[in-house]
Amino acid sequence: MKIVKRMTQIVFLAVLVLTLVGAPGVNAADRQDSVVEQVIQRGVLRVGMSTFVPWAMKDKTGKLIGFEIDVATRLAEEMGVKVAFVPTKWSGIIPALLTGKFDVIIGGMGILPSRNLKVNFSHPYDFTGMSLVASKKMAAGMTGIEAFNKPDIIIAVRLGSTAVTATKKYLPKAEIRMFDDEAQAYQEVINGRVHAVVGSAPTPAFQAIKYPDKLFLPIEGTFTREPIGFAVRKGDVDTLNYFNNWIGYVAAEGWLKDRKSYWFETKDWKSQIQ
Amino acid sequence: MIQKKIRITTTDLLLLAGIGAVIVWLLYQATLQTEYKWNWPAIPQYLLRVDEQSGRWVPGLILQGVLVTLRLSLWATVLALVIGTVMGLFRTGCSRYRRMIGSGYVALIRNIPVLVWIFIFYYFIGDRLLPAIGINRAMLMDGTPLSGILSLLMAEPSRVPIFISGAIALAVYEGAYITEIIRAGIQSIDKGQWEASSGLGFTRAQQLRHIIFPQALRRMMPPLAGQFISTIKDSAIVSVISIQELTFQGMELMAATFLTFEVWITILGIYFVLCLICSLLVERFERHLKKEARPA
Repeated sequence: MKIVKRMTQIVFLAVLVLTLVGAPGVNAADRQDSVVEQVIQRGVLRVGMSTFVPWAMKDKTGKLIGFEIDVATRLAEEMGVKVAFVPTKWSGIIPALLTGKFDVIIGGMGILPSRNLKVNFSHPYDFTGMSLVASKKMAAGMTGIEAFNKPDIIIAVRLGSTAVTATKKYLPKAEIRMFDDEAQAYQEVINGRVHAVVGSAPTPAFQAIKYPDKLFLPIEGTFTREPIGFAVRKGDVDTLNYFNNWIGYVAAEGWLKDRKSYWFETKDWKSQIQ
Repeated sequence: MIQKKIRITTTDLLLLAGIGAVIVWLLYQATLQTEYKWNWPAIPQYLLRVDEQSGRWVPGLILQGVLVTLRLSLWATVLALVIGTVMGLFRTGCSRYRRMIGSGYVALIRNIPVLVWIFIFYYFIGDRLLPAIGINRAMLMDGTPLSGILSLLMAEPSRVPIFISGAIALAVYEGAYITEIIRAGIQSIDKGQWEASSGLGFTRAQQLRHIIFPQALRRMMPPLAGQFISTIKDSAIVSVISIQELTFQGMELMAATFLTFEVWITILGIYFVLCLICSLLVERFERHLKKEARPA
């Protein structure tokens, strides 16, 4: 019995020592190489992303499709590695990057000064803008962005997205209601419980086309212009340099523009979803 | 037992009809209030679909999520049962040191919210623990025969680390409740049973195995069953750390298709069926135990 007790104590101690001392050592060893180097050794580029029509979404067969997916797939191809997508909830995507759950976020992430304090961004590979879709019942006859900047106006947005920042900046007086997923925010405006939804183009326009008797577009086009970049962990110049130059390379080819117009201006891909 | 024949009277029928009418009216009002274009025909393709290349039926997105939920619940339940049994025995044991470990564990886990616990475990503890046991290497095994077994039992190799994180976090959480069920079960057995078996010369381990546990098991079954079903439902929480189980797949699908209500209702139905099957199985097992206990 005594020996058993001794053994249990030794095992407990060993586990403690391993978790506290051993594991950080393993991590530190990993971090000596740049992310690009690690990816090539591993043979897999792990990309963090979140579903966001039409940046990234799952088609009927469960395969990921979208603008970001095209970008990340080509990036991995040119690095000579396989790509592994890690679908992650948007609200937890930066902590997941920082704790090494994947190598890079390619997920339509807007470059914000506040975000940039936590992660490094590549050069922008795309620009997006915020647009507004309003409920015909709640916001009848309202036009222009200023009409929505009133205390009794309720705006629905997706939690943690740049739509929150844009709404706070352009509609400071309005009340903001946040939702974990975009679909929930749009459902609120369709149900007529909020006046409008602020979201990245082109989804607001797509929703207005889908529900013509419930929704309308109070403004033409977008009211912000935001750069979109890859996000990587801080302190890794090699990786940032590689991504920046890769973006410059494919942009010069015209490939980025071509892909963007396919996903954002056409709806040829709609049949793959439903 | 006295069997009383149940007679349905006119009052019963009237009451039933009244309650039914109220429910239908409420549902009707809800659909009127909610401006929503229903599109149920879009749902079946996410459950089962024909693979275009091989021409065979394969699980769609939602069904893939169900499989992950099942695997996750299974692993979490098995692990929680092991943790719970060990800790339950610790709590009822003679050693003070073990009793302290057992009650410390229960006190810690029962008094923190599961959502926060899962976040903390995934981002901090899991991060330290898993590389130490070499789990991260698992994702490099793609294509080897071992990876096939791994994806059948857990998840595809690249998702194994996060799957294990989720399963352990869930198991540690559920384990605390199972600990208490086991402790209560053992302590509910009359002291005379211990004394009598001790008098017959059984060692403590033998007492537990042959005398106490078989009796305690029958008392522990109903709360344990509740805990197993809870595990299936609680597994939805790990969607926050992006494990691709049923709830997560559903939310992804909603984000892509905007079929909010159809998807939620489908998911609700699936959880209900899963838990109902689980309850029925446990009920049968309980009846089996009862039959065994009856003297021949």
